[in-house]
Amino acid sequence: MTTRSIFLSAVVLQLAAQAFGGVWGAAIAGLLVGLALRDRGAFRIGFGSALLACALLLVFVGARGGDVLTFASMLGGNFKLPGYAIILVTLLLPAVQAGGIAGGVSRLLKAESSELRAQN
Amino acid sequence: MARNLPLALLSLAAGLGATWVGARGVGALPPLGALLSPSVGLWANTANDLPERADAKIPGLTDSVDIRYDARSVPHIFAKNELDAVRALGYVVARDRLFQLELQSRAGEGTLTELVGDVALPADQETRRLGMPRAAEARMKTIDTTGALYRILAAYAEGINAYRTSLATAELPMEYKLLQKTPREWLPIHSSHLLNRMGYTLAHSPIELDLLQARALVGDSAARALWDSSSPVQEPIQPAPRNTPREALTALYSPGTPDTSAQRMVAALGSAPGALRFVRDGAPTADERFALQQERAFASNNWAVSPSRSTSGKAMVAGDPHLELTLPSIWYEVHLVVPGAMDVGGVTIPGLPGVTIGYTRAFAWSFTNTGGDVMDFWRETVNDAARPTTYELDGAQAPLEARVEQYRNAKGNVIATDTVYYTHRGPMRKQGSEWLSMRWTVLEAGNELLGFYQGLHATTASAFLDSLAAYYAAPAQNMIVADTAGTIAIRSTGKHPIRANKGRGTDILDGRTRGNDWIGFRTVSQYPQSFNPAQGYLASANQEPVDPQLDSLYLGTDAHYEIWRALQINRLLRADSTMTPDKMRAFHTDPGSVRADRLVPAFIAAAQARQQQGDASASLKAAESMLSAWDRRYTRDNTGARLFETAMVRAMTLLWDEFIPTGKDAAVVRPSESRLLQLVGDAGNAWWDDKRTGDVREDRDQLLARALAQAYDTLVTEFGDPAKTPWTWGTVAPAKPRHLLRLDGFSAPDIPVDGGRGTLNPSTGSRRANFGASWRMVAELDASPRIRAVYPGGQSGNPGSPRYLDRLAMWGNGQLDSVRTPRTPKDLAASDVRATLTLTR
Repeated sequence: MTTRSIFLSAVVLQLAAQAFGGVWGAAIAGLLVGLALRDRGAFRIGFGSALLACALLLVFVGARGGDVLTFASMLGGNFKLPGYAIILVTLLLPAVQAGGIAGGVSRLLKAESSELRAQN
Repeated sequence: MARNLPLALLSLAAGLGATWVGARGVGALPPLGALLSPSVGLWANTANDLPERADAKIPGLTDSVDIRYDARSVPHIFAKNELDAVRALGYVVARDRLFQLELQSRAGEGTLTELVGDVALPADQETRRLGMPRAAEARMKTIDTTGALYRILAAYAEGINAYRTSLATAELPMEYKLLQKTPREWLPIHSSHLLNRMGYTLAHSPIELDLLQARALVGDSAARALWDSSSPVQEPIQPAPRNTPREALTALYSPGTPDTSAQRMVAALGSAPGALRFVRDGAPTADERFALQQERAFASNNWAVSPSRSTSGKAMVAGDPHLELTLPSIWYEVHLVVPGAMDVGGVTIPGLPGVTIGYTRAFAWSFTNTGGDVMDFWRETVNDAARPTTYELDGAQAPLEARVEQYRNAKGNVIATDTVYYTHRGPMRKQGSEWLSMRWTVLEAGNELLGFYQGLHATTASAFLDSLAAYYAAPAQNMIVADTAGTIAIRSTGKHPIRANKGRGTDILDGRTRGNDWIGFRTVSQYPQSFNPAQGYLASANQEPVDPQLDSLYLGTDAHYEIWRALQINRLLRADSTMTPDKMRAFHTDPGSVRADRLVPAFIAAAQARQQQGDASASLKAAESMLSAWDRRYTRDNTGARLFETAMVRAMTLLWDEFIPTGKDAAVVRPSESRLLQLVGDAGNAWWDDKRTGDVREDRDQLLARALAQAYDTLVTEFGDPAKTPWTWGTVAPAKPRHLLRLDGFSAPDIPVDGGRGTLNPSTGSRRANFGASWRMVAELDASPRIRAVYPGGQSGNPGSPRYLDRLAMWGNGQLDSVRTPRTPKDLAASDVRATLTLTR
C-alpha cells in the first residue's frame, strides 16, 4: 500500500472511531495504526489522520447547522481563551492521543522484532 | 533497541497521557476529550436542535398530540384532553430546558451540591433550614393521588421523563456534560420544590432584624418612624378615591437615645449567619449589601385600561415581571389547545405544569409581587440551649421535631449534616445565643396549580380571579386581568396573616405563649382589590397595596414596598386617555422617573446654595452643571443618570451615619429611599447632620452638595474625564443576562437599555446582580386577544442553539413580537411553522 492509501485508511478508521467512540475511539484507532504500521511513519500517520478526522467531524457539525466559530468563541469565553484555542485543543487532543500511541506501539514492536532478528 | 525504547516510551506516554487527560481530566481540568469530541461532546450540541419533523413517544399518553413550533419557536400543543396537553407540555419544556428544570427544583430542594458540588452548600443549608424541602414532602403526603392536582403533576413528570430517557449521551444538555452528570428522574414533588423556590425568591423579606438594630442605635420612636410605618407617599394598588397620590411627608423623628432592650437583643443575636441573616444577603461589607439590595430589582409592573380609555374601545392589559435575568430565561413560552376545554398561551416556569402569565380566548392576565410581610419570628425558650428537645409553650414543655439533613456532593458522599428543629409554628434556628422559630406562608402553600387550571376555564376576569383566590396562597401576587367584555380587575391574592392584638409582624415575639401566634388570614373580601374602577385604569408596581387610611389592617411596612414606579406608571396612565397597544409597549421602557424628578432638583438646589455661600469646589461646579443639563430621563445615551445614581448612593451613606455602630465604619441598616422625600423639605432635620464631623452641624444643602461632589470625583476616577469620555448610561449601566451557572462564555453580551432605578425598567447588570424585565406582554382584548410579547434570551436553553439568544436584541430595544394564537394546527401558515413534533403513546 502506498503511504497515501495508508493515510486515507487511517483517516477512515479515525472517523469511525471518533464518531462512535469519542475520546476512547481516537486512542483505539491510534493503537490499531501502531500495530499495523510498525514504525513506518506511525506517529505522523496516527497524528495526521486523527487531526484530519476530527476536523472533518467539526465540518459535519457545521453542516448539521452548528455555528462552529461562534460556538468556539462562547466556549473559549468560559475559560478566558480565544475561540481558535478551543478549536486547536479540539483538533490536537485526539491527534496527540492517536499519534503518541501509534508511534509508541510501533517503535516497541519494531524494537522487539529487531531484537528477535539479532537473537536469530 | 537502546535507541528506540526511550522514544517509544516517550511517544506512548504522550498518547496515553493525552487519553487519560481527555477521558478523566486532571485536577481542575475537566475531561477535555469527552467535552471537545465533535461527535459526543459539546460540539454535538451546536447542531440544529429543532428538526423540522420529529416523532416521539410518551408512555402515558392517551391519544396523539400534534405540536407545531411557530417561527418564534413557540410550541403550540394541540391535544385531545387536558392531561395529554400537560404531558406534552412536560415534554416540550424538557426538550428545550432540561438542565434548568433540574437546577431550579434542586434549588428549592436544597440538593444543589449533588449537581454542582460543594460550592452550593451555603445555599442548600439555607433552603433546608428554612424548612422548604420538609414543607414540600408534607404537601405531597396530603395530596390525594387520585385527585386532579396529583394527576397534573404526574402527567407533567411523564412528559419530562419521556424526553429525558430518550436522550443519547451526545444529546445531553451541555451543562450535564460540563458537570459530568446525567439528568435525574423528574418526580411530582420536584414541582413542589420549585414552587417553594419561587416563594423564597418573592416572599422573603423580613425586617425584624433591621428594626431591632435601628432601635439599638437611634431609639424606638426614630427607628419605628423609618421601619415600622407606611410609605410616605400613597399611590396604592387598590385605587383611592382621589386623582393624585396622597403625600404624608411629615417630619421624621430625630435620632434619639438607643433602646437598651434592643441593644441587649442585638448583642444576643450576634453577627453570624442564622435565622435572621440570610446567605443571599451575604456581602463583605454593609455598603456592598445595600448595593446588592438596590440592584436586586424585583421590580415588576402591571397595568390595565378600561375600554373608555383606549382608542379601540377594548380593554387592554400589560405586564412585565422583573426577576433575575438568566440564560435561559426563567420563562418558556407555550400555547396549549384542547378543543372545547382549554386554549391558553403565555409563559410557563419550567418545572411548574401550567401557564403562569398569559391569555385565554376570553381574558389576559399578569402578576406583580405583593411583597407584604408574610414571615414572622418568635424567640423560643428551649430546655437545652445546645441540643433542645422541648420548648416552652403556655406554661408547659412542647416537644420539638428534629429533622436531620444530610448534604451530599456530586459523588454522593455526605459533606455536611444539620439538625433542623421545628415548633408548631415552623422551623427553629439559632441566631447567636437565641433560638428563633419562624412561620412563613410559603411553607403553607401548595394548591396554587389547581387555581390556575380552574381559572383557565373561566370566561370572565372576575371568575378567573375568584378561581385563583380559592387556591392561591403564596407567594402573594397582585393579579391583574382584563377580559373581552371590557372588565379590568386587580386583586392582591395570597395568604396575608393577621397577627394577634392587631400586631404588625415587625418585632420578634415571645414564643412562650400561643397568644402571640397568627390568628388567621385575610379573607378574600379583605384582599386589596378593584374591579372596573371609575378612573378607568389599574396599576401595580410593588407599592403598598392599599392606603392604610382606608384599611388599617397590617400588610407590611414601607420597607417591603417601593413607591417610585407606582408613581411613574400612574402618572403616565393619568395623562393619556387614548391608550393604544403601542403606547402600552413604550411604557415598559419609558425612561421617565418620578424619583429623579423629585430628587435631582434637591441636589441642584443644594449645590447652587453652597456655591452662593462660597464653596468654590471645581467638582461641585462641574457636577451641578452636568446634573442641571440632564433631562432626568434614563435613555441609553444620556450622560447624567450615572452621576445622579452615584450621588444618591453617596447621599444615603452620608445621611444615615447614625446607623454606624461605635467602632465600625459602615452602617448596619439603611432606611428606604422614599424617606428622602420626607427629609428634603426639612433642611434642618437632625438626620442631615453627619456626626462624624465633630462640632460641625451639617444641613441638607451641605450634605447633598458633598455627596454630589464626591460622586463626581468617584466617577472621574472610575470612568475618566466626562468631557473626553462621556458617562453614557447604556455603556456604564447595561443589562447582562447571565447563564444559570454564571459561565461567562454562555452569558449574553452587555446590552444597552433605556431605564434605571425608579423607572419602569430598572434593569441592572453588575457583578453583584442582574435583574430586569423577564417577560413583557401587551394584550388587547378584542373579540379574541391580540398579544404582543418578548423575553430576554430565547426558547432554547442550549447555548449552542440559534434559538438561545434570538429574542435578546428585540428585548433590548423595547420591541414586542406578535404572538400567534392558532385555534387549530391549520391556522398556522406553513411559512410560519418552524418545526412539527408528533407525540404518540
